[in-house]
Amino acid sequence: MNILDLVLIICSILTATVAFIWVAVKLTDKSGGKNKSVTDTYTELAEHDVEHVFNDEFREELRNRGRLHFEKIIGENAMFLQQDLQLTTSQLNEYMKDEITRKLQEEFAKYEESITDAKQLAIESINKTQEAIEQQRVIMGQQLQQELGNEKARLVKRFEENLADIVNHYVLIAIGDQIDLNNQLEYILADLEANKKAIIEDITNGS
Amino acid sequence: MDHESNAILQLPVSIVSPVDIGRLVREIDAVDNFLREAAIRQPGTKIKMPRTSRLMDELVLVNKLNILMEPDRVRLAEFLRSIKTEAPIMHFSFSADPSPIFTQKLMTWLRREIHPLVLIRVGLQPNIGAGCTLRTNNKYFDFSLRQHFKQSREILAQRLRGSIS
Repeated sequence: MNILDLVLIICSILTATVAFIWVAVKLTDKSGGKNKSVTDTYTELAEHDVEHVFNDEFREELRNRGRLHFEKIIGENAMFLQQDLQLTTSQLNEYMKDEITRKLQEEFAKYEESITDAKQLAIESINKTQEAIEQQRVIMGQQLQQELGNEKARLVKRFEENLADIVNHYVLIAIGDQIDLNNQLEYILADLEANKKAIIEDITNGS
Repeated sequence: MDHESNAILQLPVSIVSPVDIGRLVREIDAVDNFLREAAIRQPGTKIKMPRTSRLMDELVLVNKLNILMEPDRVRLAEFLRSIKTEAPIMHFSFSADPSPIFTQKLMTWLRREIHPLVLIRVGLQPNIGAGCTLRTNNKYFDFSLRQHFKQSREILAQRLRGSIS
């Protein structure tokens, strides 16, 4: 039982109390009016009759009837109150259900929109990143090709510069043991003959 | 160089390096000292005759000298000292030690074509492969196989490029 139900019950009890008081006041007014309209002569008679008519049994009967009427009214009001309460509860449930559904739908729509935006942003970001990566890959590929070309040219140049030493080293390793100095005398003398003039000049004029 | 005074003396091709000349100078000095000591020695004193080397024998034989005679001895000593100080020296480097026959053939050509009193120093330079390098007073000549390869490097590179492509 929530607070609303408690308030409704208290309201129904107060309403029943007010109705009871109202009935009591009406009854009092009726008896008061009669007393004012009769004469004093009949006052005592009336009082006596009243005492005779409204004796304890009659009063008990009236109390019982009032109690029953009050209980009936209370029961009817309770039933109405219950019906109203059920109707209000039902309407409130329906309202809450609709509101919650609407709110949830709005939130879901916003959430979906946010997700869509985030997804779009992520896709754009991924596309940009892919484009940047692709550009970087192309640039790096070109740089790599250029570096490879430069390195290849450098190696070829170095190889060609040291070609004589490489071949000489290879010849030495391969047939170095088989090269006889005596067999080279003819070539050595030919080289000396070719440079004889320079040698003589250097020996003659040198210090 | 005083070639005119020593024109009649010749260096045999077996005398190759300044080291040989220095050894011959010491040898002729030893002979000269021995003969001087022999001239002033006391009779009956035991003396030891210095032995001459093959180079000295050949030098004396080629020049038809008698080193027992003082004029020839003096002349030979002066000749050797003048050669020691004034003879042109050429530095050869080979990839291996040259044989005596090779050295004699080389000296024969050098004495005939370059200078009659030229001396050589021989060194080793194994990395030149074949041929030799020659260093004179002011110049350096590279007659090695490595130098030949360097001179024909373009041809070799062209052949390599042709075989690769």
